[in-house]
Amino acid sequence: MALLEIEDVVAGYGAGPDILTGVTLSIDEGTSYCIVGPNGAGKSTLLRTIAGILKPRAGEVRLDGTRMNGSRPDQMLAAGVCFVPQDASLFPTMTVRENLVMGGYLLGDRVLKRQRLEMVFETFPALADRKSQNAGTLSGGEQQMVTLGRSLMVEPKVVMIDEPSLGLAPMIADQIFEKIGGFRELGITVVLVEQNAVKGLESVDWGFVLDLGSKEFEGPADGILADPRIRELYLGKQLAPRERR
Amino acid sequence: MNWVQLLVLGLLLGSVYAMMASGLTLLFGVMRVVNLAHAAFILIASYITYLLFENLTLDPIVSLVITMPLMFGLGVIIYLVLFPRIEGSARYVEMTVLLTFGLALVVEGLLTFVFTGTFRSVRPAYVSTSIHVGDIFIPSNQLYASAVSFALLIGLWVLLRFTKTGTAIRATMQNRGAAQIVGVNVRRISAFAFGTGMALAGAAGSLLSFLFPFFPGKHWQWIALLLSLIVLGGMGSIKGAVIGALLLAIASAVVTDTFGPTWSPITFYLTLFLILLVRPQGLFGAKLRL
Amino acid sequence: MTHETEKLDTTDIPVVDQVDADVVPQRPDRAEGVISRRVALGLVVALILLFPVIAIPVFSSYAYVMQIGMLTLMWISMSSSWNIIGGFAGYISLGHGVFYAIGGYSAGLALAHWGISPFLFLPVAGLAAMAVGLLAGLITLRTRGPAFIVATIAMLFLFLLWFDNWEFIGASSGLDLPLVDIPVRWLKVPFYYAMALSAIGAVYLSYRIAHSKFGLGLRAISEDETKAEVAGINTRWYKVIAFSLSAYFIGTAGAVYGYSLTHLRPLTFFAIAVAARMVLMSIIGGRGTVAGPVVGAILIVGVNEFSVRQFGQTELNIVVTGAILVAALLFFPQGIVGSLRKSGRLPAFLDWD
Repeated sequence: MALLEIEDVVAGYGAGPDILTGVTLSIDEGTSYCIVGPNGAGKSTLLRTIAGILKPRAGEVRLDGTRMNGSRPDQMLAAGVCFVPQDASLFPTMTVRENLVMGGYLLGDRVLKRQRLEMVFETFPALADRKSQNAGTLSGGEQQMVTLGRSLMVEPKVVMIDEPSLGLAPMIADQIFEKIGGFRELGITVVLVEQNAVKGLESVDWGFVLDLGSKEFEGPADGILADPRIRELYLGKQLAPRERR
Repeated sequence: MNWVQLLVLGLLLGSVYAMMASGLTLLFGVMRVVNLAHAAFILIASYITYLLFENLTLDPIVSLVITMPLMFGLGVIIYLVLFPRIEGSARYVEMTVLLTFGLALVVEGLLTFVFTGTFRSVRPAYVSTSIHVGDIFIPSNQLYASAVSFALLIGLWVLLRFTKTGTAIRATMQNRGAAQIVGVNVRRISAFAFGTGMALAGAAGSLLSFLFPFFPGKHWQWIALLLSLIVLGGMGSIKGAVIGALLLAIASAVVTDTFGPTWSPITFYLTLFLILLVRPQGLFGAKLRL
Repeated sequence: MTHETEKLDTTDIPVVDQVDADVVPQRPDRAEGVISRRVALGLVVALILLFPVIAIPVFSSYAYVMQIGMLTLMWISMSSSWNIIGGFAGYISLGHGVFYAIGGYSAGLALAHWGISPFLFLPVAGLAAMAVGLLAGLITLRTRGPAFIVATIAMLFLFLLWFDNWEFIGASSGLDLPLVDIPVRWLKVPFYYAMALSAIGAVYLSYRIAHSKFGLGLRAISEDETKAEVAGINTRWYKVIAFSLSAYFIGTAGAVYGYSLTHLRPLTFFAIAVAARMVLMSIIGGRGTVAGPVVGAILIVGVNEFSVRQFGQTELNIVVTGAILVAALLFFPQGIVGSLRKSGRLPAFLDWD
C-alpha cells in the first residue's frame, strides 16, 4: 500500500475556479518525487491540498490507507506530513534557534525537543553557527535551510517542499538540493515541486508531470528528462540538457 | 503643577490606556481584526460593573473576577459566529472593520435601550480619596486602576512569553501561515486570542467605570483614541501600543495642564496626522502587511 | 507515453500577458432589457423633477412627503459620493462627515454673514468641501487599509473637536440661520429641488467616473494596488483625486440640509451615524456600482421611516442600522445590485455601469 494516495482530487481557492481538475497519483514510502509542469498547472495547489491547507472539493486524500480529507494542517503534521511552502514561512523576529524550536511545537517532551534540535544542528552546521541570529536577517539560502531543518523536528514521514530553489543563486540551490538528498538517507519520503524542472528531476527518483490541474504523465525522473517530447511539451524549449552530476 | 506630578498622573492613566490598547492590538495582530466595537464592549463591562455595584455593592475591582471571564466567553462566541464567514474573502481586514462597526452600533443601541442616555458612574469610597507622596498627590482610584492595569499587562506578558499557548499566539501574530505549518491550530488560537483581547476589554470596563462617567455614546471617543493610538504605535505591535499609550497619556497631562482639557485630544489627533505624514507605518510598525 | 503527440504548432499556444489582463478588470456585461439604460436614466431624472408636482394631489401630508423626498435625495447624493472612494477605489472612509459639515457650515456662514442664499452658494460649498478633501486626502492616503480607516476617524474627530470649540461658528451650541419665507406646506419644495440637483450631480459624476479610464484605474487599485502601481497607474494621485471628488456632492448636500434645519450644530454633521449610513447604503445597495448607492439610499431611508413609525424615534433605529450592516456583510457583501449582477439577473434599468 502506498504511503500517500491522491485519488481524483478536485480543488480550488475560495470561490474561484477548480485549479486541480482530478489528480490521481500515489506516493510510496522511501521514494523521492518531483512534480513538474507549466505555470498554473496546480503543483503548489496539490501540495497545499495534501497538507490540509485547502479542502478538496472532490476526491480523496489517503495516508496509510486512512482518509484524510478536510484534516487541518496541524492534524496532517501530527500524522507525519510536513509541508514547506515557497513563501517565507519563518518567524522573522525570532532567532534561528527559536524558529527551529517552533518546528517542534507539537512535541510534548522537552527532552525530545532538545535531542531533535541537536540533530538538526548536526545536519545543518551552518545553522548552528547562526543559532541566535534573527531569522529575518538571514540570506535566502540560510532561510531555506531553517525551514528544511524545522521540518526535521517532527521526524516526518513525508516532507513536501514547494519550490526549494526559488530565488536562490544556482550554487546555493545546489547546496539545498544536496540537503534534500540527505533527507532520503534519513528515510524520509520527499515530494518536491520545482519550477526548475531539470534540477528538480535530477535529484529525485520519480517524476509527475502536471498540467491543467491533472496528471499528464509519470515515470522515472531520468526518463522524463531524457524524453525530448515531454521536455518540449511541458518543460519548455529553452531548457538546455545538463550534465548529470 | 510640577513635572513629576504630571509624569505620575500620565503614567497612571497611561497604563489603563495601555491595557485597553494591547487588547485591541492582540486582536489585530493575531487575526487581522480591526475591532471598532472594542470600546463598545468595554462599555458593556462598565455597565455590568455598574449593575453589580448598585445592586450587590460589589466593588468594581472585585467585579473583574466576573467581567473578565464573561467577556472572554463573549469574545470567543462572537469570533466563532461572525468571523469564519468572512475569512476567505479578499478584503478581509476591511470587512472586519465594517462588521465590528455594525456590531458597535448594535451594542450602543441596546445599551441606550436598557440604560438610557443618562451619565453613569461607579462610586466606591476610593473615588474621593487620594494619597500623598511628598509633593505628589495621587487620586486613589487612579492608583488602584493603574495597579490592576500593570498587573494585567504583566500577566499578558507572562502568558505570551512563557506559555505554550502564548508562544502559539506570538507565532500566529508574526506569520499566520508559518504557524499553521508547524502545527498551531490557528482557528483555536485565534478564538483564544479574541477571548483574551475581550477579557482585557472587560477589565478595562470595570476599571473605567470608576474613573470616568460614561453613557452609551461614549465609546466612539474611546475607540477613536485607541485606534489612533494603535496606528501611532504601529499596528500589530503590543510594545508600540503600550509605549504609545504611556506617551500619549503623559503628553495629554501636560497639554491639559498648560492649555486646558479640550486641547489634549486635539493635539493628539494633530500629532497623529503629523506622524502619518512622515512615517505612515507608525512608530514601531513594519510596512503594513494586509 | 500514453497519447499521440502531433507536432505542436506554436501559433496555437495563446500568449497571455498576465499583467495586463489581471490589472484591467473586465467591465461587467451589459444586460439586455426592455427598458434601455438611457431611457431608464432619463425617466428617473424626469420622475425626480416632476415628483413634487405629481405629489400635490396624491399625498395629504405633502410637507412630510417632500421632507422624505429631500432626505432620500440627500442620502443618494452622499452615498453615491462616498462610493467613489469607498466603492470604486476600495478605501473605506469613516470620516466623510467632515465634508458634510464643511458644506453645511460654509453655506450657513455665507448666509449669516453675507446674506448669500445657500441655494446660490451650493457650488461653492461643494468646492470648499472638495478643497478640504484634497488636503486631508494628501495626508490620510499615505496610509492603507485599516490604518487609512483609522486616519479618517481621526480626521473626523479632529474637525469635530475644532468645530465644537470654535466660537466664530457658535461652537457646540451652534449657529442660527434665518428662516426661508415660504408657507409651511411648500417650504420643503425648494430644498427638494436643490437636493435633487446635488443628487443628480453626484450620480452623474459617479456614472462618468465609472465609464472613464480614471474609474478603471480606481477599480484596478481596489483589486490589487501593487499590480496597479506596477502597471503604471499613478495610484497616489488617483486616490487623492477620488477622495476629493467624493467630497463635492457631500458638501452640497450638507449646505442644503443645514439650511433646511435653520440651526447648525457640529454634532448634527459629525455624528457617527452619518458615516454609518453612507457606508451601509453603499454596501447594501452594491459597493462599486453606480446604481447601488442609489438603491441602498432609498431602501435604508424607507426602512428607517418604517421603523420610526413602528418603534418611535428611539435607539432601536441604531440597532437596526447596525444589524442590517452586519447581516449585509455576512450574507450579501456584494449588495443588491452586485448580487443581482453576479447571478445575471440585473434588470437593465439598474445597470448603470
